[in-house]
Amino acid sequence: MPQNRVDPLEPRGWVETKELIARVLSGDPEAERTLYDTYVDRVYRLIYRMVGEPDRAADYTQDTFIRTYDRLSTFRGESALSTWITAIAISVVYNGQRKVKRMRTREVDLEHADPVATPERSADPDLKLRLAQAIDELPEGYRTVFVMHDVEGYTHEEIGTALGIQEGTSKAQLSRARAKLRRHLAAFAGGWHS
Amino acid sequence: MTDERDEQFDERLRDAAKEYNTPPAVPRAEMWRRIEAARRTPAVLPFRTPVWKRPFVVIPAAAALLALGIAIGRQSAPGLPVSSPTLAAPAGESSSADRDRSSVASQFATTEHLSQVETLLTEFEVSEGSPEFSGRAQDLLTTTRLMLDSKRVTDVRTRKLLSDLELVLTQIATIDPKDRREDLDFIADGLAQNYLRTRLRNAIPSGPAIRL
Repeated sequence: MPQNRVDPLEPRGWVETKELIARVLSGDPEAERTLYDTYVDRVYRLIYRMVGEPDRAADYTQDTFIRTYDRLSTFRGESALSTWITAIAISVVYNGQRKVKRMRTREVDLEHADPVATPERSADPDLKLRLAQAIDELPEGYRTVFVMHDVEGYTHEEIGTALGIQEGTSKAQLSRARAKLRRHLAAFAGGWHS
Repeated sequence: MTDERDEQFDERLRDAAKEYNTPPAVPRAEMWRRIEAARRTPAVLPFRTPVWKRPFVVIPAAAALLALGIAIGRQSAPGLPVSSPTLAAPAGESSSADRDRSSVASQFATTEHLSQVETLLTEFEVSEGSPEFSGRAQDLLTTTRLMLDSKRVTDVRTRKLLSDLELVLTQIATIDPKDRREDLDFIADGLAQNYLRTRLRNAIPSGPAIRL
């Protein structure tokens, strides 16, 4: 690990981050809080974008930091600490959302609703609402890449590292997500192009 | 929709998506209190089962290693046009002659590669998207990336074509058996929207020249 590494993804700089990690691992409560304050906004923002509910976003963020502290000794510095924490956050969100989805599916089955939404032909006054619904309905992987890249502005490199996929795969997933959204919102395309 | 309209649409999409699930103010203090409580007394918060297993890290890594091995094998295999030994040339003529030979070799290699991609796409389509093509697509994807990284391929149109093919090959290589129908639709869309078949045919000279 180069001592003078400059990592644009680390808001504190690598040397400072390394010292902070050492202090957290030694049990320094002040360092734990500093680490939390440094990364919590970024983590909460991404999680909120992915789940859209304040209570669950808070739960997942808490879980992410608890895991971060528990596993910090395994951090090897092969990526930026922020990217490593993002990977944990995504894992927490995926697992949590799968449980929520299973619960909801059971509830929906009981209420006979059709889970597949079909685009309405009539003019919808709120394209953003339709877009939000279309994003919600994207497959998990596509939605994650779309939210990270197009909504939160992560680079394909960061996404690839956080999700454990190649940059090219991230690009392909984004392309698929956009294509699916285009198709889903085709009824509104005329209005958007005008 | 045309490419231009798609780009416009994507731009609008990105703008509108900024308001997707807009986060409120971060409840820092409240979350911190609960994190501290959970860390000091683990029973306070219900813990989810630890599931920090990441097969999605291991599998692509193994695939990448395999692809690298194939790429190295291809580079070191005898008889490949790009690595053909150069003939000695009189002093003064050598640099331009070398450039010419290098250019011809590069064109030959590119044409050969594009032919293989076209064959794969045709066979893939005829087989209605059989997953058996994922491996070949991965090989061709590796070669495509090597070409894109190479300074020998300088033609802008060829580079754009390779770049578009990279995306389609990635889609074929990573086709998800659980979501196969949808993936096939995206691949078909990608081929149609970018006129890839036409551009491929235009890029590959017809007749026996390509097999020289």
